Amino acid sequence: MAHDRAAAKGAPKVDVSSFLEWPQGIARLGVVLCTTVALGCSLVYFVKAVDRLGDTARTNAAQNFDDREFAGGNALVVANRPLYEARALIPEDETFRVVTGPGVANATELTVSFIDHYARYFLMPRRPSPDARWVICYGCDLASLGDGFEALLEDEAGISVGRLAG
Amino acid sequence: MTVRSLLGLVLLNTFAFGVGAGLLWGLRGWRTWWELARLIGVAYMLGVAGLGVALTLVLVSGIPFSLATILLTGLVLAGVGTVVGRGLGRPRPVLGAGPPRVGLAAAALAALVVVYFEALFRAARLSGLYAFDAWSFWVPKAKAIYFFGGLDEQFFSELPNATYPPLVPALEASAFHFMGSTDVVTLHVQFWFLLAGFVAAVAGLLATRVPPVLLWSFALLALVSPRVVGRTLEPQADFTLDYLFALAALLLALWLLEHEPWQLASATLFLGATMLTKREGQLLAACVVAAALAASWREWRSAWPRLGLASVGAIALALPWRFWYVSHDLTGEFPESGVTGLLDHLDRAWPSLQSVLSSAFDAGLWTVVLPLVIVAIALAFIAGARTLPVYAALVYGLALAGFTWAIWSFTELEVPIEQDEAINPVVRLAASLVVLSAALVPLLLDAAWRGTDGAARLDER
Repeated sequence: MAHDRAAAKGAPKVDVSSFLEWPQGIARLGVVLCTTVALGCSLVYFVKAVDRLGDTARTNAAQNFDDREFAGGNALVVANRPLYEARALIPEDETFRVVTGPGVANATELTVSFIDHYARYFLMPRRPSPDARWVICYGCDLASLGDGFEALLEDEAGISVGRLAG
Repeated sequence: MTVRSLLGLVLLNTFAFGVGAGLLWGLRGWRTWWELARLIGVAYMLGVAGLGVALTLVLVSGIPFSLATILLTGLVLAGVGTVVGRGLGRPRPVLGAGPPRVGLAAAALAALVVVYFEALFRAARLSGLYAFDAWSFWVPKAKAIYFFGGLDEQFFSELPNATYPPLVPALEASAFHFMGSTDVVTLHVQFWFLLAGFVAAVAGLLATRVPPVLLWSFALLALVSPRVVGRTLEPQADFTLDYLFALAALLLALWLLEHEPWQLASATLFLGATMLTKREGQLLAACVVAAALAASWREWRSAWPRLGLASVGAIALALPWRFWYVSHDLTGEFPESGVTGLLDHLDRAWPSLQSVLSSAFDAGLWTVVLPLVIVAIALAFIAGARTLPVYAALVYGLALAGFTWAIWSFTELEVPIEQDEAINPVVRLAASLVVLSAALVPLLLDAAWRGTDGAARLDER
């Protein structure tokens, strides 16, 4: 019991010469080696981890509000302004739809596939709906939306935000 | 990303601790306030699990989800714990003797853990939402709960992975309520709290059972693994699942050795929460229970009925969510090939196992954690311990087999999986075993050192 208490306090009394006795000594030698390896690895990787976290913190702090808010979206939205404008223009209780097409300048390979996903996340609580009056056009053919489409924002990349009449 | 948001999170997590303290009082109690200080992490994680499960049930039952609902739910949980504790006649705690003196090495290691958490907090504080799954469906589900006060039919059926359980979105929605907005930047700090709570819980449970050097060495080793450093703050369910699973597995291990009812009861709550966090939580929970059944076969008359009851309890907590998504015609929970469909794809078996093993033992992601687990299990066996190494070997073995089954049966996954770790599904699964190692390896090595399963216990009931 005294030994157990000492062990639990982290100050075991150890007879090193017993480390080669089978099986208890070998097991204890293994424990010492295991802990040494864990400690060594922990220390090496601790330095790397704190370095990496420090870099991450610096990068995050250096970003502006928009970059931080868009974060993952920066890889696909092409420009931040259209979605900001959409958020400002579309009332929270209205629905919207994203219509995509090939006409977006500087689109990434993710833009057409995921812009509707990202808009859904970014514009909540506005709901997506296939027949919504509000349209975010990502390089789509505006003529296909009909005569009643009123563009409230058009940018040089080929992105429009607007609404259909009625 | 405001001070208000940070204060909101501090309030939420203090509230979770209060709820957990009430539950802990009912399940176990504490004789001294120092004992509660040691178990602060256990109380907090019990609060997180209890709130997560209860809020999921609230959502499923259609009760409007608001700040008042969160507060009321937590107060009911804490109240039930307090009443049970009073009913069991727990004595009023006293201040008691202070904590035992800590050696220099252990203090230095604990200090490194503190430095690590400081660095992690700075990284979390202003982090943008980059993780694809996080902005694709985890956070949108949380936003839907926050904005619409429940499981909105449209969003919960249209968002990807509709059958994934809502425990983490419910916790994130709670964070939004406490922050006062959908501040997805500060939300990362919530996941800092969860990791800190997990480490504190493991430390609280093991502090009286294993030498501090063992405890902090392996906690630090798991914390500094590159994958943990890079991904633990992401506002999605992967690491939350791992913490809940690891605590359930640790408490079951302790119950196998010490037979304290509160350990099994707490494990039941953590198992239920594990199953409500991600669908693979069911697989992990099954592995833990199966391993506990096998490891307790010598005392099956007393152990198996209790384990059976705990399993039924955990399943009962998870079932309402299943009823909800089945009644809403949502699918995707199980592989398209079905359980027997494996036989039609025998050629996938070996590459699936390869994928699992290469991810689990990838030193670039996990350093040497899992190789050390194997050595620790072997050393415990050699030294004469039986229950603990059998249990640990089965948890890890069954989980690796289960992950292989998952990859094998989801035939839409190309095998062997050689994707980047950012999108590799097996790496996410393997994380659960690495996180578990922080809790189990110190126990295994302590058993190996002393040549017996029974852990040394100081001031522990």
